[in-house]
Amino acid sequence: MLDVQDIATAYGKIEALKGVSLSAAEGRITCLLGPNGAGKTTLMYSIAGVLKPRRGTIRLGGTDITGQSPAAIVARGLALVPENRLVFPQMSVAENLEAGAYQRRDSAEVATDIERMYARFPRLKERHTQLAGTLSGGEQQMLAVARALMSRPRILLMDEPSLGLAPLIVEEIFRIVGELNKDGVTIFLVEQNVHMALRVAHHFYLMEQGRVTFSGEPGKLAEDEVIQRAYLGTSRPTSEHKTG
Amino acid sequence: MIAVDLAQNTLDGLMVGSSYALLAVGFTLIFGVMRRLNLAYGPTIMAGVYLGTASFISFDAPILVVLAIVIAGSAVVGLYVERLCFRPFGEAARTASMVASFALWMQLEEAATHLLPRHMNPFPALTTSPPIEIGPLLLRVDHLIMLAATLLMAVAVTYLLARMRLGLAIRAVIDQPRAAAIVGIRVERIMMLTFVLASAIGGIAGFLIAATDTQVTAMIGMWATTKGLVAMMLGGLGSVKGAIAGGLLLGVLEAHAQWFLGPQVRDMVAWGLLFVLLAFWPGGLMGTKALDRTMAVGRRV
Repeated sequence: MLDVQDIATAYGKIEALKGVSLSAAEGRITCLLGPNGAGKTTLMYSIAGVLKPRRGTIRLGGTDITGQSPAAIVARGLALVPENRLVFPQMSVAENLEAGAYQRRDSAEVATDIERMYARFPRLKERHTQLAGTLSGGEQQMLAVARALMSRPRILLMDEPSLGLAPLIVEEIFRIVGELNKDGVTIFLVEQNVHMALRVAHHFYLMEQGRVTFSGEPGKLAEDEVIQRAYLGTSRPTSEHKTG
Repeated sequence: MIAVDLAQNTLDGLMVGSSYALLAVGFTLIFGVMRRLNLAYGPTIMAGVYLGTASFISFDAPILVVLAIVIAGSAVVGLYVERLCFRPFGEAARTASMVASFALWMQLEEAATHLLPRHMNPFPALTTSPPIEIGPLLLRVDHLIMLAATLLMAVAVTYLLARMRLGLAIRAVIDQPRAAAIVGIRVERIMMLTFVLASAIGGIAGFLIAATDTQVTAMIGMWATTKGLVAMMLGGLGSVKGAIAGGLLLGVLEAHAQWFLGPQVRDMVAWGLLFVLLAFWPGGLMGTKALDRTMAVGRRV
């Protein structure tokens, strides 16, 4: 479904991605683990078209999408749940969902999908007239996921959905990730919560300092070692540009 | 007769203030999507008004044709400003955009004085009807038209923002530009459309002001920037309702100040009020809630 080949992305002279290759298989949950500053968020933004890679190719369902605009990539069926959620704080919950369906012209179907989101996330229904900025962190995360789903994506990219959330909420988020996947959505997930990530992932990658350093099934590497490498990295920490 | 004076000043102030409100609506839309100050906003309007008055002087164009020329001229010049001062620089280079817009302000004033070298130029009158008398109060018909036009525009802009697809995109870009890009909104295109729309709204304000004065000088550019800026800041950045309230309030206060303290004090009151508001309610009257105050300050230029 998603195939990334030798992607390099830089902020000025600082290269955050130094040739990353990985793929996310259709219908699967693929997880990317790695310490802060490994380049995970940079990779997510590069795939979604927000950042332009210097070299390499990104293919979505066989089509080359490298360097395309975020709008064109959304139209091809990719949606991103960004790091820190980035809901529209001064817009209501319902308007956030409408914005998620911005490219769709089938307004009747959009209304049905909004009802579907309310069924899946009852808290959003309770708060549908409330401004998104007034929601709790967990509710904002639910909203960010629902907003991304409103474009009816074939593949959902999720960047640290558990960031800063209480354990019970994290459980719920991962339950939803599993459910979405059962419904046929391909998921590519960036996480710091190694334990939860390895529980849901079909395949995972480790990324350190802008490079992929491990690829395999959960269980191929002891969880202790994954944690060691995902949080601390194998080599000494450097003063690399922090990208989350 | 102080009660009559107060009532007359308030009415005059509301009607003149409605033009400030319209200026501020355009200003706040541009500031909202760009988060950068467009100093060439007033001069853009001046350029549109000058094209209108040139067509009036040269071809004796009827007033509705002049209106169309002013709106179209402001929109086109607005696009020119966006291309030169805003599109090339990112949000990070706020100072570059502001200084570039200052340069275009000078350029537009220069161009206007070459187009019409006389200091003062005639502009077609909105109406020649005598003022309406209501008891001891006098109401100018052209000022009433200005007030009505402003209210109509306010309703139209509110409807656009609240109910239309373009309005949803504009609000999304104002609220969280990166998220707007992520959901598939073409952010640069929305910025450009908003900029042109806001310049056209400013053009309508400029037309109404020139048509009630029945004359225009190149100074209307700076005048429109400062009045629009003060009204926008009073109301709070990025709020259309606030911009309207700020414009009306500024008009009323100026009218009272002029009547009771003299014309020299008029502008001083506006700036003094702006200072007090920024010192004690930095979010503006209706812009942002107390919780967002730090953010509101941070978002100021």
